[in-house]
Amino acid sequence: MKKLCSALSAVLLTSILSSCGYNPIEDLTISLILGIDLDEDNNLIFSQSSPVFNKEAKKNVEVYQLKANSIRESRQYFDAIATGDVTAAKIQVLLLGKRLLEHENWFSILDTIYRNPNFSLSTKVVMVDGKVSDVIFFEPEEKAQLPLHLNEMIDNNINRTRTENTTLQVLHRYMYEKGVTPSMPEIKREKDIKLSGISLLDKNGKYIESLGIEESSLLLILMDEKKEELTLSFPLTTLEKDGGIFHENEISILLRKVSPKIKTKYKDGKFQFDYNITMTVSLVEQIFSSNKVTKEELEKLIEKELESRFNKLIKKFQDLKIDPIGLGIYARAFQYDEYKKVEDDWGAAFSEAEVNVSVDVKMISLGVTS
Amino acid sequence: MNNNGNVSITLMQFIFLIHGVQMGVGVLTLPRELAQIAGTDGWITIIISWILCTAASLIIIQVMKNYPDGTIIDLLSHYFGKWIGKIATLIFAFYFALLTMVIFIREALFIQVWILPFTKIYVLAFLLAVPSYMLVRNNINILGRYSQLVFFMTIWLTFIILMPLKYANWLHLLPVLKEGWIPVLKAIKSGIYSFVGFETAFFLYPYLRNKEKASFGVIIANTLSLSAFLFITIVAYVYFSPDEISKYSEPAVTMLKVIDLNFIERLEIIFFTFYIFVISTSVLPAMFFTVYCTSRLTGSSDHRKHAIVFLSLIWLYTFIVPTTFERNRFMQGIVEQGGSFISFLFPLCLWLYFLIRKLVKGRTGK
Repeated sequence: MKKLCSALSAVLLTSILSSCGYNPIEDLTISLILGIDLDEDNNLIFSQSSPVFNKEAKKNVEVYQLKANSIRESRQYFDAIATGDVTAAKIQVLLLGKRLLEHENWFSILDTIYRNPNFSLSTKVVMVDGKVSDVIFFEPEEKAQLPLHLNEMIDNNINRTRTENTTLQVLHRYMYEKGVTPSMPEIKREKDIKLSGISLLDKNGKYIESLGIEESSLLLILMDEKKEELTLSFPLTTLEKDGGIFHENEISILLRKVSPKIKTKYKDGKFQFDYNITMTVSLVEQIFSSNKVTKEELEKLIEKELESRFNKLIKKFQDLKIDPIGLGIYARAFQYDEYKKVEDDWGAAFSEAEVNVSVDVKMISLGVTS
Repeated sequence: MNNNGNVSITLMQFIFLIHGVQMGVGVLTLPRELAQIAGTDGWITIIISWILCTAASLIIIQVMKNYPDGTIIDLLSHYFGKWIGKIATLIFAFYFALLTMVIFIREALFIQVWILPFTKIYVLAFLLAVPSYMLVRNNINILGRYSQLVFFMTIWLTFIILMPLKYANWLHLLPVLKEGWIPVLKAIKSGIYSFVGFETAFFLYPYLRNKEKASFGVIIANTLSLSAFLFITIVAYVYFSPDEISKYSEPAVTMLKVIDLNFIERLEIIFFTFYIFVISTSVLPAMFFTVYCTSRLTGSSDHRKHAIVFLSLIWLYTFIVPTTFERNRFMQGIVEQGGSFISFLFPLCLWLYFLIRKLVKGRTGK
């Protein structure tokens, strides 16, 4: 009797639990891409793309675009046109239009994403060079569904250290951390959708400049964000050209271990950062005859070439008064008193800083041919 | 009333009971609360709080040695008379009742915010009340076993907290003592609140089987809590930028949101579900001591009815008064005030009293 009573009460208690209930996947509209853009009349445009699980549907992706004032408001309109309940918990990619990013303080639009614990914070944030609608309505015939394709494409490039993994969480840090300026991957619709590198924003989130793939890799090295694989290809400009139509002084190196060390000083009223990047590399491609230079000479040439490229890149940041590397975090950690004075305008302070880069290359393999 | 009867707890249970009460809901918000005042130097605050709290717990043990067979209530009645004892019982009952309320309601609020956003608070409170009653109706040794079980059952959660370290930037901790000692000392109030719970030693001491180990026990319990708090706080500090951490209300949960395993998303929900067990080891002993005090006050030897009444009152409260985080925080403020009195000032006064008494006695003895 006692057992029966407790069993009964257990059943009764579980029955008042409000669970998610029975929600067949066909009845859900699971947004995998959310796009935010600004049209010519400065209206916010929201778009979303979600897979269709219904067998009868001809297309396997449904895409909607509409005007609204906020993300949460857009959901009610999406609900009004989509088949099922629109859910935002699985968004993989957040696309931001270039026109949106050209205005300051767009970040507050994302408020609901951080306020509401339903949202995943590992969503990747990507800037679209052009209109979001060009990307989100793209239906590649020879590829997987756009949401999957886009996600995979960006992931692969992150793994190969060609673009940055700016998740919503990272973006939040970028926006609030005073010692760094935001940056995020950038894609562009040409015939296909292609990854064009990293876009750089200023402290208020305003779009400033884009980096190509090459420069993006270099930036990621400076940030100590090298992922699984990283290959750099460049001509050794200091090497004499043989002439001819092929870039015969072109080489490619595979970077195996990269460890940047930064020394932070404060001298004569400005910050000084001494970068020392040691890397072990292996040669994977060399389009000029190998008896032209010895291994040691080659190491030196690569060092010189990389140093000039790093310096050029940093100069570019300083001219634009942005610090996507996050050297401000180093300044805070090691020169706190001086940093405290300039932290609210770190970009300007950084533009006057002195940054020296030295590269140590150690060639560990020349490949299997000679 | 013979407290010991045949009920006693082992040293392990003693340690895990105290540690369990300390590991409440506070730790989830602790990194933010400390960061708001002391920045990334908050971890130093935790160490200072630990020293203070361990000292206070040792004093409690010293005080209790003067009447090893009874709880603080028996001790007070013995030395100061029946009425002082009654008043102290009332104060303790009130204090533990408030502590229970704060943690119990906070627990329900967290569950609502993070896991079940559409469920009413009073439904959650009711669901939490049933298993709570089933444990609290038993005696302290059962609660001791429960705390010990939960400790070992949830220890793997530590590994989940290690995962965000992949994205850590240790430079956030530098420079140490950014703004000097003053903010660090100012934050001690929040730091100490997370250690609240060691005052249960007042009640646990007579049940402890091996009383010589009591001091050792409280040190271990406090140190266990210290390592847990320090660990979570430092992970949160290196994970979040010092400029952003105060933007999140529960940084300890938010930092789990980025863990992206191939087979599971939103790991923080799983973490949180298990964390409810950890919270329960905090709320249940507090609840037990509330009803222990009230049943002592009314002179009844059965605390079950009191447990039922107390739980019904809490439930009624959640039903009538709309529960919000603000109101909960306000109550927490009262508990913090009361806690600093009951866990620091009160044992210190008693300790001094016994010291002087011994001194005077020694002198007259000669």
